[in-house]
Amino acid sequence: MSDLIYGLATGIIFGFLLQKGRVIRYDKQMGALRLTDMTIVKFMLTTIIVAMVGVYLLKDLGLAKLSIKSTILGGNIIGGLIFGIGWGLLGYCPGTQMCALGEGRWDAIWGILGMLVGAGIFAEFYPALKNSVLQWGDYGKITIPQILGVNHWIIIILFIVIGLLTFRWFEKKGL
Amino acid sequence: MGLKQENNGWNPYIAGALTGLLLVFSVWFTGKYVGASTTFVRSAGFIEMLFSPERFAAIEYFKKEIPKIDWQFLFVVGIFFGALIASTTSNSFRLQAVPPMWERRFGTGKSKRAIVSFIGGAIAMFGARLADG
Repeated sequence: MSDLIYGLATGIIFGFLLQKGRVIRYDKQMGALRLTDMTIVKFMLTTIIVAMVGVYLLKDLGLAKLSIKSTILGGNIIGGLIFGIGWGLLGYCPGTQMCALGEGRWDAIWGILGMLVGAGIFAEFYPALKNSVLQWGDYGKITIPQILGVNHWIIIILFIVIGLLTFRWFEKKGL
Repeated sequence: MGLKQENNGWNPYIAGALTGLLLVFSVWFTGKYVGASTTFVRSAGFIEMLFSPERFAAIEYFKKEIPKIDWQFLFVVGIFFGALIASTTSNSFRLQAVPPMWERRFGTGKSKRAIVSFIGGAIAMFGARLADG
């Protein structure tokens, strides 16, 4: 039960911040895909940097466990490409369309219905995919520091530096 | 219109950093990492369970992702309410069926937008599930 309350509370704050950051509208998402407005990239990269530092700190202190998904090149690459096509058509992603609906952009309803159908279609195809695409390039639960054999903070700092340089470039270009 | 539209949003770096902190606290206090797309699978499973129990029972994927109301389901519901609260308290809530950028390119037709959104949503979710995202 407390799990559900935490879920609801986390969702409310998350949706609140996404709306305040103006990252959920069709125009913003399309702006990023058309490389004309980097608002959502700024938002996402900042979120990732802060969360990456925080979660690894918690891990090092023994306060949290990482949740690593398997790297399956077939699924990740083909799935990513397919997702991109859908995202470009819809202009919302699974989480942000809930947000868009919350601020009255009710075309998100069509996306939500489409996603339910898409999930159903995937479930139908899952047995076939499991024995094909989802076996191509299956590397299991790996991380970048692990592959390179270096301390994770080296990667984190590198990521932060690249992120900050990207931000500086965006601001210079007025994106 | 146009130029006069509200844009009193927060700086995206600050809103993004606060969201990052939220994710850290979530992992710290409850061990939960955020996500949304599994909830669409579980909900699709629910719907199939209601309308076609035999079909539902035959699908392997719904045994892997068992339909249930869990942390993530409430998280996804919460996102809606969070945006509702943020927009209605800042005069940025707008009932809108066709986004401005779409309208400039494809016109005001609601059904065109609806059809493309629906298809886009289905494709996006298929891809997201394939990539396990």
